[in-house]
Order: sequence, then C-alpha cells, then structure tokens
Amino acid sequence: MNWLPGNSARDLSVLGVLLVVAPLPILGSSYYEGVLAHFVIFAMLAVALNIVFGETDQLFLFMGGLAGIGAYGTALLTDWLGVTAWLTLPVAALFAGLVGLSVSWISAKRKFTVVLISILTLNLQFVISEVLVGAREYTGGSTGFSYQYFSMDAIAETVGVNETLVLYYLMVLLLLALLVAYVALVNSRYGVAFNAIRQDELAAASIGVDVVHYKVFAGFLSAFMFGVIGAFYALEAGYVLPSAFSFQTVDVLVLIILIVGGLRSTLGPVVGAGIIVAIEEMLGSTFTNWRTAIFGALLIIIFLYFRSGVIPAVDNLRSGRFGRRFGGAEEEPEDEPAD
Amino acid sequence: MVAIDTLIAVAVDGLAFGVFLALLGVGITLVYGLGDVLNLAIGAFSVLAVIFTTSLIEQGFGLVVAMVAGLLGVALLGLAVDRTLLSLVYRSEGEERILLGIFTTLGLTIFIDGTMINFYPSRYNLPVDTGVFSLGGIGVTGGSLVIIAVGVVAIAVVFAFLRGTFIGKATRTVFQDERGARLVGVNPRGIRTLIFVLSVTVAGLAGLVFAIGSNVSVSSGFEFTVLALIVSIVGGVRSLTGAVAAGVFLGVVNEFANFFVGSYIATIILFGTAIVVLVAKPEVIS
Repeated sequence: MNWLPGNSARDLSVLGVLLVVAPLPILGSSYYEGVLAHFVIFAMLAVALNIVFGETDQLFLFMGGLAGIGAYGTALLTDWLGVTAWLTLPVAALFAGLVGLSVSWISAKRKFTVVLISILTLNLQFVISEVLVGAREYTGGSTGFSYQYFSMDAIAETVGVNETLVLYYLMVLLLLALLVAYVALVNSRYGVAFNAIRQDELAAASIGVDVVHYKVFAGFLSAFMFGVIGAFYALEAGYVLPSAFSFQTVDVLVLIILIVGGLRSTLGPVVGAGIIVAIEEMLGSTFTNWRTAIFGALLIIIFLYFRSGVIPAVDNLRSGRFGRRFGGAEEEPEDEPAD
Repeated sequence: MVAIDTLIAVAVDGLAFGVFLALLGVGITLVYGLGDVLNLAIGAFSVLAVIFTTSLIEQGFGLVVAMVAGLLGVALLGLAVDRTLLSLVYRSEGEERILLGIFTTLGLTIFIDGTMINFYPSRYNLPVDTGVFSLGGIGVTGGSLVIIAVGVVAIAVVFAFLRGTFIGKATRTVFQDERGARLVGVNPRGIRTLIFVLSVTVAGLAGLVFAIGSNVSVSSGFEFTVLALIVSIVGGVRSLTGAVAAGVFLGVVNEFANFFVGSYIATIILFGTAIVVLVAKPEVIS
C-alpha cells in the first residue's frame, strides 16, 4: 500500500472514527447536527483548494461559483431530464471541472502568475453570481428555491435514523474519500511533479515535466470536487440561494480555513475548518453582527503573521524537538505532507 | 425607435458614471503603480466618505463643509492604514508583496464592512438638488452634470499635481524606477504614504459623486472595489491615463447596455470585458 503511507492511513482512520462518533453525544439536537455538517462541508472545500492552490499555486477565487455550478447544475438537470440527482450530479460536477480545466489551461499556456489567476477567477466568480441572480426563470433569482433532491428517506428508514444523520455520514464518507485521494495524489508521480513545478517551473520543464498537463489536471480535479461538494452544500441547507455561493460567503472562509490549517498538509483543511467553525460557534448569537468584522481581522492577522498554518507549526515544533533529542537532521516541513 | 435626445441623455449619464469609474480607477492605479499593492479596500473608503459626510449633514453642517470633512476623515484613516498595515506589507518583495497586499486589503475591506454595517445599516445619499437641466433643448439629469464637473476638476488636479509639482515629479520617478529614485534622494516610502492618502481621498470623492442621486450602502463598498478592479484591468494597472480612458469608456458602454439590454446583461458585459482583456493581454497586471 505504498500509495497510502502508514501514518496517513492511521491519521485518516482516527479522523474517520472521530467523525463517526461525533454526532453521538449530541444525538437529536438538529442544531449541532447542522454545525457538524457545516464543518464537514467546509473541510471538504478546503481539501479541494489545497490541491489546486497548495500543490500547484493556482489560486482559484471562484470556489463559490464552481460549487454553485454543481448545485444549480444538478437541480436544473434533474428537473429537466426527470432522472435521479445521483445521475445528474456527476454531469454537473464534470461541467464545473471543465470550467476549472479551461481556466488552468489558459493560465498555464499563457504563464499567468498566481496574482493574475486570482484576479481572473475573481472576475469569473462575479459573472457566475450575476448569472445565478439574473437568470431568474431558471434559478429563481435571488429568492432561490427549495433543494429537495437525492432522496435518502429509503436509506434512513432501512437504517432507522433520521435523514440529516444519513446525509452527515454520507458527507463524512466523501470527506474521507477526498482525503485519501489527496494523500494518494501527493504520493504518486503527480505529487513529485507538483513539487518540482512549485519549486522551479522552468527547471521542471527542462527535465521533461509537462507543466501544463499537471496544472490542468489539478485545476480539473479541484473544480470537479468543488462541483460535487456544492450539491451537498445546497442539500444540507435544504435551500439554494445565489448569496450562499458568493465570494464573501464561500471563498473568503475557505481561504482562511486552508491558511489556518496549513497549505499542503493532509489534515490541515480539517483542523482549519474545525477552528473556524468553533470560532463561529463561540461568537454565537451575541456577536453574530460582528462575525464578518472578526473574520476580516482574522484574514489580515493570518496572512501577515501565520502564513505557515497551524498543522505545519505543530509539526515543526515536534520534529524540531525530536531532531535535537536524537540528533537527526533538520527536516523541511514545507515540502512534505504532514503526517 | 429611440429619440436622439434620449440617446444624448443616456450618454450624459454614461459620462457621469464613467467619471465615477475613472476616479476609482485612478485611486487603485496610483497605489499599485507605486508600490505593487492592489488596494481591494478602495471601495470601502468611498463608502466611508459618504457615511462620514451624510452623518455630518445630519448634525446640521453645510453640504460643502461636510464633504470636505468627510474626505479629510477618509484621508486620516488612509494615513493610519498606510502606517500600520501597509508598512507590514511593504516588508516583503515582488510577487509575495502583491499577494500579501491583496489579502491584507481584502481582510481590511471585510473588516470595515463588517464593522460599519452594525452602525450604518441603511442607504445613504447626498441631498443635492438634482433637477433636469435643459441642454440645447435636451433634458439631462442635473446630478450627472454636477458629477462630470466635479470629477473632471478632480482628475485635472491629480494630473497637474503629478506633472507640475516637485513631489509629483518625485512620485513619477518612483513609478518609473524605484532604485533610480533612491539614487537621486527620493524616499519611496514617504511618497507611498502620500500617494496612498491621495488615492483614498480620490476614492472618497468617487463615493461622494456617486451618492449624488444614487443610494450607497455598506455593501456597495465591495461592488465599488470590483468596478475599480475592472477599470484598472481594462486600462492597464499601471497607467493613469489608461484608467481614466477605460473608466469613461466603460461608463458610457455600461449605461447604453443598461438602456438597451438591461442591467443584468450590462454587468456581465463589464466583467466579460475585463476577462477578455486579462486573457488576451495578461501583461496589463505585472
């Protein structure tokens, strides 16, 4: 099993067990079930961003838009074709993936800097938002519509738990699948190529690494993931609104989560999502009005002072201590996936 | 068939919107050209100027006094931001500085919006009498004429400052070659502070002219920033004349698109133009 190193397998199993038992202490409280689901969704979004931004330095700032394509696409296709959403979801996600693929392809071909990609995708985000609000006859405009697809009552009845819980476990499965995919990816030849390209694109190209191919692959994969997650995001909310997929609602939060957790670490997105969702909950109802202001301040502080993230910082501390004790060589925490 | 005087009226409104866009574009271009910081908080400063001014008017101050005080308030805030946040950003270099600048000012705009919404939740505009003027028999909005007049004067002042004064010339030296400027004894950091304060004041003025006849709310801030970004992309992020030309052009195009195909398509045209320019000429941002 060399595509999934032992320590990653251990970490992911521990995380899996934690996520599976998490709803037990709060069983029946639909509020906390909602919080947990919210946490899992944003952890998934951060995992997807970790591939395209963390691994290949392509800062996608239209995550909300791609998720919106997945969510709205699934709904519209389902209504139009009259088939189950389980069939239309892959199609909608594929479409989101192709959008990401095109952006990555143009950016890689024309050698866009990370700043250019971020500004280009930011513009695309606003176009998508505008279309979601403006194409009223299809999307319901800014009032949205109720999102009741993916019937799960059959599963819920068989197992004997409520539908929210079924959805939660489904999303936990998806999160674990994304994490396994991430670990497998960075431990494959793709991961090696990503490292080489990130360190020196020109040098990587000169030894025969197809830079465009790897960037486009990462762009497609992440965009596809955003599309899939978007449908679950809408499903969890039970209602779909353009504002739920806006830059301020999705992109800003996912970016903070990934940076807090640490770029290029396997569990970083999960830890980051945990921290941010916990902060949201602590602010609670008393400080709801200050939520936005606090996240703005957080964004500034994180980028100015803690760009390396929590997980790498902890790792650094740990490997530094062991390094001294055992006289081992200094490790470079930036270039290896955290265990 | 649309009457010709309607078209002229639309054109005048378009010019007014264009002048507003040009002011925003000048604001974002000045700072990026000088220090590689893409100020994503620029729209927040526009909104703050409007909020300061309207609160002063409520207190019983005259319109002009309130506007000057509002701009002064924005300038002081800009000074504080430059001395604290931007000093931290300027410590890094090259691509890292650009990225850090984007995230810091993005955080700043979210912080300002999130704070202000608690105190100023409604919509604000300036009580300027905007009747309909007769221009050679054609009725045009008075507000638009005021906006064009104020904006043209402001842009002329900025250009005269950069071309005519010693500090203006020193600024342009830093624009062209930072090391060369250092060699002849210009302090780039001091110039950057001055220009940042100037740029947020220009952005404040953009907000004030927009508030003549239109409502401004806290959430308008980010919309203004996005508009400024589009203008600077289309005009070339380091070119002031480009920003003015792109602002006026996009303003007129947007107003006509608004009139003929509706605001939804008009907005998409704006973003579409920016995307096409970005893909066709990525060197505009570098």
